[in-house]
Amino acid sequence: MLKRAGGITRRTVLQSASVVLAAPAAVRGVVAADPIKIGMPCAVTGAAGSVGTQMRRACEFWAKQVNTKGGLLGGRQIQLLFEDTGGNPATCVRKAQEMVERDGVRILTAIVASNEALATVPKLAEWDAIFVSGDNGDGRLTGESLVPNFFRPNVSGPMGTRVVALWLRDSPLKAFYGIGMDYAWGHNSMDVFEQEVKKSGRTFLGAVYSPIGTKDFSTYITKIRQSGADGVYLVLSGDDYNAFLTQAKQYRLGDKMQMLTEIADELVLQATGDASLGLIGSSRYPNSLDNPKSKEFVAAWKAEYGKEPWMFEGDQYQSCMVLQAGIEKAGSVETAKLRAALEGLQIDSIKGPITIRACDHQGEQPGFAVKVEKGPDGKPRPNVIASYPASKVTPACKQMTYTD
Amino acid sequence: MPLLLVLAAALLAAAPLVLPVFALTLLTEALILGLLAMSLDLMVGYTRLVSFGHAAAYGLGAYTAGYILLHFAVPLPFAIIAAAVFAGVLAIGVAWVCTLATGISFSMLTLAFAQLLFAIAFKWTSVTGASDGLAGIPRRPGPLGLTVFETRVGYYELVLFCLAAAYVFCRVLVNAPFGAVLRGIRENEAKMLSLGFNTRLYKVAVVAISFALGGLAGALYSPFAGFANTDLLYWLFSGQVLIMVIVGGQGTLLGPILGAGFFMIVQQVLSQWTESWALFFGLIFIGFVMLAPEGIWGLLTRRRARV
Amino acid sequence: MDLLGFLVTQCLNAFSQAALLFFLGVGLTLIFGIMRIVNFAHGTFYMLGAFIGFTTGRITGSFWMALIVAPVVAGAIGAAFELGLLRRLYKRDASAFLMVTFGLTLVLEELIRLTWGVQPLEVPVPDLFSGIVFLFDEPFPIYRLFLAGAGVVVAIAIWQFLERTRLGLLIRATSQNAEMVHALGVDVNMVRSAIFGIGCGLAALGGVLAAPLVTASLGMAANAIIDAFVIVIIGGMGSFLGSLIAAVLVAFVQVFGNYYFPDFALAAMYMLMLLVLVIRPGGLLGKEA
Repeated sequence: MLKRAGGITRRTVLQSASVVLAAPAAVRGVVAADPIKIGMPCAVTGAAGSVGTQMRRACEFWAKQVNTKGGLLGGRQIQLLFEDTGGNPATCVRKAQEMVERDGVRILTAIVASNEALATVPKLAEWDAIFVSGDNGDGRLTGESLVPNFFRPNVSGPMGTRVVALWLRDSPLKAFYGIGMDYAWGHNSMDVFEQEVKKSGRTFLGAVYSPIGTKDFSTYITKIRQSGADGVYLVLSGDDYNAFLTQAKQYRLGDKMQMLTEIADELVLQATGDASLGLIGSSRYPNSLDNPKSKEFVAAWKAEYGKEPWMFEGDQYQSCMVLQAGIEKAGSVETAKLRAALEGLQIDSIKGPITIRACDHQGEQPGFAVKVEKGPDGKPRPNVIASYPASKVTPACKQMTYTD
Repeated sequence: MPLLLVLAAALLAAAPLVLPVFALTLLTEALILGLLAMSLDLMVGYTRLVSFGHAAAYGLGAYTAGYILLHFAVPLPFAIIAAAVFAGVLAIGVAWVCTLATGISFSMLTLAFAQLLFAIAFKWTSVTGASDGLAGIPRRPGPLGLTVFETRVGYYELVLFCLAAAYVFCRVLVNAPFGAVLRGIRENEAKMLSLGFNTRLYKVAVVAISFALGGLAGALYSPFAGFANTDLLYWLFSGQVLIMVIVGGQGTLLGPILGAGFFMIVQQVLSQWTESWALFFGLIFIGFVMLAPEGIWGLLTRRRARV
Repeated sequence: MDLLGFLVTQCLNAFSQAALLFFLGVGLTLIFGIMRIVNFAHGTFYMLGAFIGFTTGRITGSFWMALIVAPVVAGAIGAAFELGLLRRLYKRDASAFLMVTFGLTLVLEELIRLTWGVQPLEVPVPDLFSGIVFLFDEPFPIYRLFLAGAGVVVAIAIWQFLERTRLGLLIRATSQNAEMVHALGVDVNMVRSAIFGIGCGLAALGGVLAAPLVTASLGMAANAIIDAFVIVIIGGMGSFLGSLIAAVLVAFVQVFGNYYFPDFALAAMYMLMLLVLVIRPGGLLGKEA
């Protein structure tokens, strides 16, 4: 702890020096089991805290699993270095830099917000560090903002939208309107949705964007009602999403049109209750998936935490699985070797087969459309209504849109 | 006193020789924030113009420098200077409107302007990159092929030099007749008016200088961090800078620099130690108000006086 | 829906929103009027209200209990804070209040996170108001009508309180001239504790009422405090009537602005604030220039 005191004053420098001097004796005995350090500059407070808390839990769960089985690379334990960023990009970069420069971390994960990720990725080359995304959806991270040390095993925003688009090709809905949060993700996903709607020969009537932090959606709901659409696409997250769904139910919007969404996860279901019933959207990881890996994961998770894993927990866990396979394949945690190992890596994950393609480091994986319905316990839950293969869901290399 | 300061500056300049890599990074950022807090002190501490929108200065500087460096092959120091000047010039117009009011209304006008700027940064995608901000801002070499600022140590020394130069400038300014007028405005504006001073002109001038220096801090930040985004313009950050000034000791120039370092490093250390860092951070501020009314600078000088 | 129907429903939307903004702003402005302090923690009391309301509703099953318990508890915390800490600072300048309330914000928010967790919590609309009425063939939530009505009732109650009661009289007198009230042998400190408690309680009341629209979440505070500032600034710091007018004005600008000029949704409120301040630097009904 003393060593962590920032290292500015003379006293701290002396203390660090004494720690450093004392270190060799301690380290000597455990040279073979030098831990693998993984840095998590992760927001668990602030607006993104509810997602960040899930991501952290998934990483801890994974690390515990690995460590009880004896670690990786012949007995090296996973050591997670977690620090809260509060969702602020400046803090995130500072914390990540600290982990890299002071603690010798070369692997980062669990950065929550897209703007935190976008601020961090340009630094990766200088740090000689790999960042394995656990939830960052911004399409440009594997497009124009792609850097060699960034990997995205999770589902991106455009892929989530694509799943909804694939579903609506077989639906009777004809005309669509959209509401998105007024920032990059909202606009990007809405653009993809618009193109997809037009390609399938339906009508896109328009979209409206609400500023982050909007509390009263009554005007937007009026606009949506007036549009005459029979489907409305929501690209909302966090508090804004919860507020919209809650108020949409109060205005009986669901009686008038089908609500579609890019993200249908347990967090929003819990916060909005019955207001989420009937919602159709994509889920990055529905825990009801019928494959052995997923069932094994869900059972172990339940044994550990006494509840089912949620969507962001599953997606982050998959990223950890990919990282683990990469480390094992590389036989090393050196950045260059790990990067080479991750490129083209194929594993059987909790969502089924996933390939980290070499060209843009995006994970090619299946997509799932879900509908929110009442579960056996009377609470809303996302039930899978359709699955689509990776080839249909993943965009072409470095692209954020689809041609077919 | 000046001797002590020169010694402190020399020690800081020599810090890269002994400090571990990350401590230097942290110190660089602390000095940048120190410069920002000091610039606000000109307004708050010397003129009692309590700005609730000083993030505007920082953000303006950060975005302007970032934009120039991303789009033009301009050497780093020139981009930084241009950004500082731009922030100062823009501030003249803003100050002209804000100084229509005094007291709390002045604070609120500065808040309104800063938030408007925040809204603009959020919507003007082609220039500001909207919610993503500007990323990958390079530290361009030059002038004369100079590449020293691209290194960590070189950049640290640049920041230190800017802070030292800004401090000397501010010190000269507040000791000059100009500073006497500012203090006069702080204590009793009506009296200064009756003495024939055009106090509004003085206030506009101090806001512009304060913004230029705050802009300088922002312009140093964006190439340091490699990005600029809307969080730098948000009102919450304005509030934090004001807290840095108060906790350091208003009207002392040096106090706010220490206050900024204190704010950043305590937050950094606490959040490593516990997830509930905000709880302790808050308690520290409450403790400071109750036990150390004059701020950090007051604590230091009081102890010195006692010895 | 024809134009008339549109106008009526949008006006009702605006009034329901104005009520929430009013609860948020009026406490802050009363506190400022009496104490001359900017209470940074006001948004946090609003959020605290929502969470206490959630728990009270869970335990008692009654929304009405939540409407009583949350403001009382939040008000008591506010009054205790005034008694324990703020009271010692009245001889100091405004920056001391700024910093101490900033500290309180951090402490309270973390305590809320530790108590209720990070996940947003669903707060159901009370059964009595969960239905809809049809206005011009369009469904309109009864809860929104209730909100608008609650705004009117609370506004009248505060007005009567300030006009008719002894404490109200003291509050008005103290905001005019604290020394004189003190010279008359009144315990000014008691008035200050009371008004700080009442202000925080009103914010909490707003939180309880807003929760069925936005859920109880940790993002509420930061989001609310800036709205509260804007209301107080536009209305004029310390003016009860001003905060009422400002709440209605801001709500109308938001509702109609978002409809006709959605691109300006973020900036609209600040442009309104600038406009008002440039014309009247002290706010619409503020005394201070």
